[in-house]
Amino acid sequence: MNGNKKTLLEVKNLETSFSTWEGMVHAVNGVSFKLSEGETLGIVGESGCGKSVTVLSLLRLIQSPPGKIVNGTAFFNGKDLMKMTEKELNEVRGSQISLIFQDPMTFFNPVLTIGEQVMEPLKLHLGVSEADAQARAIEILNMVGISNPEERLKDYPYQFSGGMRQRAMIAMALICSPQILIADEPTTALDVTVQAQIVDLVKKLRDELGMSIIWITHDLGIVAGLVDRVAVMYAGYIVETADVMELYKNPRHPYTIGLLGSLPRLDETERRKLASIDGIPPVLFRSASTCPFAPRCPYRIDRCFNENPMLRNVGDGHEIACWVDVVNHKEQV
Amino acid sequence: MKNGEVLLDVKELVQYFPIRRGVLQKVVGYVHAVDGISFDIKRGETLGLVGESGCGKTTTGRSILQLYKPTSGQVIFDGMNLVELNGKKMREERKKIQMIFQDPYASLNPRMTVEEIVGEPLKIHKIVENSEIRNKVKELLELVRLNPAYIDRYPHEFSGGQRQRIGVARALALNPELIVCDEPISALDVSVQAQIVNMLEELQSEMNLTYLFIAHDLSVVKHISDRVAVMYLGVIMEMTSRDELYSNPLHPYTIALLSAVPIPDPEKEINRKRIILEGDVPSPVDPPSGCRFRTRCPLAQEICAKERPEFREVKPGHFVACHLVREITPGVFRAEI
Repeated sequence: MNGNKKTLLEVKNLETSFSTWEGMVHAVNGVSFKLSEGETLGIVGESGCGKSVTVLSLLRLIQSPPGKIVNGTAFFNGKDLMKMTEKELNEVRGSQISLIFQDPMTFFNPVLTIGEQVMEPLKLHLGVSEADAQARAIEILNMVGISNPEERLKDYPYQFSGGMRQRAMIAMALICSPQILIADEPTTALDVTVQAQIVDLVKKLRDELGMSIIWITHDLGIVAGLVDRVAVMYAGYIVETADVMELYKNPRHPYTIGLLGSLPRLDETERRKLASIDGIPPVLFRSASTCPFAPRCPYRIDRCFNENPMLRNVGDGHEIACWVDVVNHKEQV
Repeated sequence: MKNGEVLLDVKELVQYFPIRRGVLQKVVGYVHAVDGISFDIKRGETLGLVGESGCGKTTTGRSILQLYKPTSGQVIFDGMNLVELNGKKMREERKKIQMIFQDPYASLNPRMTVEEIVGEPLKIHKIVENSEIRNKVKELLELVRLNPAYIDRYPHEFSGGQRQRIGVARALALNPELIVCDEPISALDVSVQAQIVNMLEELQSEMNLTYLFIAHDLSVVKHISDRVAVMYLGVIMEMTSRDELYSNPLHPYTIALLSAVPIPDPEKEINRKRIILEGDVPSPVDPPSGCRFRTRCPLAQEICAKERPEFREVKPGHFVACHLVREITPGVFRAEI
């Protein structure tokens, strides 16, 4: 869809691990992806699959110790985020690449007003004067649908409802007009009607401002109507990536197939037994020389326990990490 | 009693919680958690109770078990009004009504083994001899597809899905008739949710259980329920069979709610028009006058602020609390699914 557009971010072989008392946790194991200008990428996976750690690693927001970015490059506008000095990186964080999070309550400082916090990136990064920052804050709060922003600027976070706080967080993330917005499960804590408001708002802002978005979620429903490409993560690996239409129509990795089959759907008319995936997500203590999904996979073959499959192209930008051609149920070379 | 007969009949249930302030703990107001709801559940069926956070669905479940003393109303279980029972009699009845909780981490005592957790209700109600408890617990573990060899383990040794199975085993220990499932899968990983849903369905047909299934996820509720009640701010807005609710919703809130649920299909989503409600759910401390939904209802009129709409049967088995039901033109205000 965005094949001809300029690549804005290129991540290669990103690897992050955490040392714990029980051993080394390999959270992200060589993740690679590209993000084009104006593109929205969805990273989908269950809790603990490494999706948040992936994007936090991009901005080097992993606390070290215990965390460590072991390997990888992430070129953003021709510069490697992994090699930047802390000062250079601070120019990028919150200004050219900004983040929104799941929990808008813990995100804001409770003793500062919403206005002070929304304006902060502008003053910090661009050295804008108080008066100009305030004018811009009012403009952006208006844009995210907060009515009467002149007054609401003076409010404290506790005076905002959950949905309003999420809007204010988006305003704060967008105030410096970033090129990339990273959204880490921003609607998970919200009710479904408020979630619809926020998704609607982000789509509108994307069209107006033209930024690229990385949207992280566990919900295959939300990304269906929101993103251009999807990357499905499992155990710290991207196991499948494709254009959004292709992924839902022709899922090829057994995990993606399993996830889609296990979802109860609103548009279903027939009653059916949900296709559940056996077992539980793995603990990530080992560095895998086997396919991490093999123990739960209904299509596994011997090879899955001997070699970990790398992502490979199966046509038209559709990549899977699997030894088996699930459609024909035979081994692929 | 046969399937299809009314097992639980809730009438005009009201549950307020006082708000106390100051040194003297003076009551300064009430949280109107549940405000006059009526529904019944027939033996062997699953009633889905769905709504957003704070709508009173969990409180409803707890009030049915008399874990809170209802402010007013009746909870008639198997012909007996639970609200009027004394502690001893209630304890007898509670054997027949069990609960599965949302958080499998918080609902199991970390210092107790599986045997102690699942065996506790057997011990308290003296269902089997103490020497028999271990065997009975093993049976129960098999019932919920857990390896009986795990009987001496502690909760922290299990995954979320397995813990939820332990919670189900505990609920089944007393051979209950009704199980209140309070968001039993929302704390679980997506790939594990289906395992638990499938198990609950299998257990229902094996043991002829009746479920009150409380959830916020309309897709899951559609999957598991026979009938569905939609709650908003302490009031049931609409209640009917699952097929009718999802194909022919009549209350503007139900319509908006269905419209907001994403469908995992980009081809459908791309052209899907959403009804976007404005604002958040108001506080249950000072709920809106008249219809609770009127502050966010795109169709609200004057009457909605003045009178509380009656919860009435507009079609056989289809109950709606809305003044405007007959005026909503189908096709104009509808949920695209």
